[in-house]
Amino acid sequence: MSVLLEVRGVSKRFGAVQAIERLDFEVKQGEILGIIGPNGAGKTTAINLISGVIRPDSGRIALVGEDVTGMRPDRLVRLGVVRTFQATTIYQERTVRENVRRGAFTTLYPGFWPGFLGTGAARAAERRTEATIGELLGWLGLGEVAEAEARNLPYGYQKVLGLGMALAARPRLAMLDEPAAGLSHDEAAHVADVIRRTNADGVSLIVVDHNMRFITRLCHRIVVLHHGTELATGTPQEVTRDPRVIDAYLGTLHEPA
Amino acid sequence: MSVDLLVPIFFNGMSLSAIYILVALGFTLVFGIMRVVNFAHGEFAMMGGFWLLFLLNWLPLTYWVVLPLAAVLVGVSSLLPEQFVFRPLYGQELPSMIAALGLSVVLAEGAVIVFGVHERNIPSTFQGLFQVGRFTFPEDRLVVMAIALAALAAFWAFVRFTRIGLALRTVAQDREIAEAQGIDTRATYRITFFLATMMAGLGGALFAQIYALSPYMGSVPLMKAFIIVIIGGLGSVPGAALGGVLLGMSESFLATYFGASVAEFTSFGAIILLLVLRPWGLLGTPEG
Amino acid sequence: MGLRALVESAGAGLRRRRWLWLGVLGALLVAWPIFIHEVFFAYIATLMLLYTIGAASLHLVLRTGHLSLCHAAFMGLGGYTSALLTTRLGWPFALAFLASGLVPAAVALVVGPILLRLRGVYFVLITFTLGEIVRLVLNEWKSLTGGADGIFRIPPPSPLLVDKRAYYYFALAMAAICVGVIARILSSQTGRYIDSIRESERLAQSSGVPILRFKVMIFAIACGFVGFQGSLLAHFITFVAPGSYTFSESLNLLVMNVIGGMGGLAGPLIGAAFLTALPEFLRGWVELQRVLYGVVLVLVMLFVPGGLIEIGRRLLSTGRS
Repeated sequence: MSVLLEVRGVSKRFGAVQAIERLDFEVKQGEILGIIGPNGAGKTTAINLISGVIRPDSGRIALVGEDVTGMRPDRLVRLGVVRTFQATTIYQERTVRENVRRGAFTTLYPGFWPGFLGTGAARAAERRTEATIGELLGWLGLGEVAEAEARNLPYGYQKVLGLGMALAARPRLAMLDEPAAGLSHDEAAHVADVIRRTNADGVSLIVVDHNMRFITRLCHRIVVLHHGTELATGTPQEVTRDPRVIDAYLGTLHEPA
Repeated sequence: MSVDLLVPIFFNGMSLSAIYILVALGFTLVFGIMRVVNFAHGEFAMMGGFWLLFLLNWLPLTYWVVLPLAAVLVGVSSLLPEQFVFRPLYGQELPSMIAALGLSVVLAEGAVIVFGVHERNIPSTFQGLFQVGRFTFPEDRLVVMAIALAALAAFWAFVRFTRIGLALRTVAQDREIAEAQGIDTRATYRITFFLATMMAGLGGALFAQIYALSPYMGSVPLMKAFIIVIIGGLGSVPGAALGGVLLGMSESFLATYFGASVAEFTSFGAIILLLVLRPWGLLGTPEG
Repeated sequence: MGLRALVESAGAGLRRRRWLWLGVLGALLVAWPIFIHEVFFAYIATLMLLYTIGAASLHLVLRTGHLSLCHAAFMGLGGYTSALLTTRLGWPFALAFLASGLVPAAVALVVGPILLRLRGVYFVLITFTLGEIVRLVLNEWKSLTGGADGIFRIPPPSPLLVDKRAYYYFALAMAAICVGVIARILSSQTGRYIDSIRESERLAQSSGVPILRFKVMIFAIACGFVGFQGSLLAHFITFVAPGSYTFSESLNLLVMNVIGGMGGLAGPLIGAAFLTALPEFLRGWVELQRVLYGVVLVLVMLFVPGGLIEIGRRLLSTGRS
């Protein structure tokens, strides 16, 4: 498999804390890569660095060879790299469908003049995207609540909505920050399902979580983060049997189902 | 650039600075503690001038009693607006700003109804000239400067050494922690507003003595307060002091050599530059 | 729940028949001068219409989440551009009018990227400062602007428009076009993403919306439109002076939005009409009226932040309960 995203020697310091230190890993085209580590290991910082929310102090991030280090988040989205947030970030007062429409900016926005004039091409694109959104809502399991206000949804639905907004941008690479956190067993299984289906559709994913079971069942490969740097990388079997990983996290990463 | 010119410029600059700092301090205090941009702050300064005029005409007391009394009265008259206009809107940046704009209109136009639009002068208690070496300074300016500096020193001592001052500093740093420590934040807000408007009133009274008094004069100290607070940092007390000195001195210098417009232009240009490059000012802290 | 559904369906019904209401409004606006002949009313109505342009354009800026206190400065740029081009260079009105929109828009494009990086309080302060700078320039650059006296004897757009009633229809057409364009922008996809920026910049950015570029674009459009108002006003009252474009005027435009209601485009339109008419009905009580102005502002912020529109909605819902 070819490499989609490369992270090489990336470091980031916040004041006295070295949050990320010479981090090295890659995401292969078509895979689901898990990033795991205890709280404070730098998982969210890693996503923030890749998605452009913060600039690395040093190192290089490349998307299919093209340097995207420190690129602004919206540009990265237009290049096909999206991310979700740990805390559910959705438009509270808008309907579920409207939320997804807003996530679909890259496909739904026809440009100022076509939008203003309502050209035939613009309207056709709008119809197509609306259809896609409808489909997306369907297999996300949000079809029934499509017209409900987002803030009225139960937490599990809101998390799926956040996921849906990211997917609506038709990304090449989706980085999910703790997509199963706070979810019941069934809800987490639904999310895992959605992730697998998305992957089957051709989207590569980075899934960040600290729930070992969730990650090992879902991901093709796993990167273990420890103190801001890569401790081990490999398949789920390799990583869970790695003595360094066991040594660092004996018991910590195994959470009750 | 002879010393003969520099000394009066310095002196003027200092007296201007002192008055500006008095007004700006209150403005930055209110923003720092309650996060309110009090667009009506200039009107409280204006009120100080009118209270001074009113008291001088109606009370047979000496200037040294009337002046602080005027300032205190401004502080007292701020308690109603604090309770009914600002308090309900704490935490809402833009609505409180708009409400403050409304309040400023009410105060200024109210003053027009009561006092009329025309400018007036406050009769000068000090009319002599003070001689030091070969320089002469108008006595009233000297007194104004001395009073302003004394007030600033008193304020600094108050914040630094009293328990209330400590409470103010704590609330400014972190409201939740302050509440957890048992500090009555509502009372703190009232005190802050009282102090802030009192100082503005004092500054306005002093300003009105040197220049003239009119209902619309509030916009001048307000504009200066904006500039100072942007230079020094919104919410920073030492910043207000630094900004006040920089503004007063540069205005005095530039106005003498290049005229008032150039002075104004420069201060505006400085603000734009600062807001673009360092919006939290020289001594402020960048917030998230 | 029943009441809410009732109000919502009433709103939906209103929206579906929106074109009907607009048609009625349009007919009224066109027809009333046939029955009421005093020039005074045409004069006030013209002012109302011209201010809807400025208020609606400020609404665009407010929709992005920024509170501008220098909007009148851009009106001044438009007014002076039009005045100078017609009086000093003899340009025909049509070209001068176009320029009166392009010049403020161009300035906005230049300063926008700098200004719009700031948010909240800082943006308010920097726009306030910018407004003061423009006032200073208009006053001091006497050779260009005529200083504090301004420019006089600005010609009407055409000999046909010397009559105030004729100008009313001209203003009506221009206002309809300008407000119509603004309405269209807000209802198009652009409007959707403007709202997304205002509601959550972080989220909008993570969906790929180029935040600053959008804001600058809208800001430039808004400044262009208020520039148009400046030109139309200038040729109506036939003079421009720095005093017409001060902070006080910017505040006026803001208040039209606040009092009318900031939730939608209808707010500034109602606010503009209301605030332009008000001084005329409180004539003779000038100072009291100014005080009331401030009082209303405070009361609206405290009790009815949604403005007149919200008052209208509340009245509708209590009427039906």
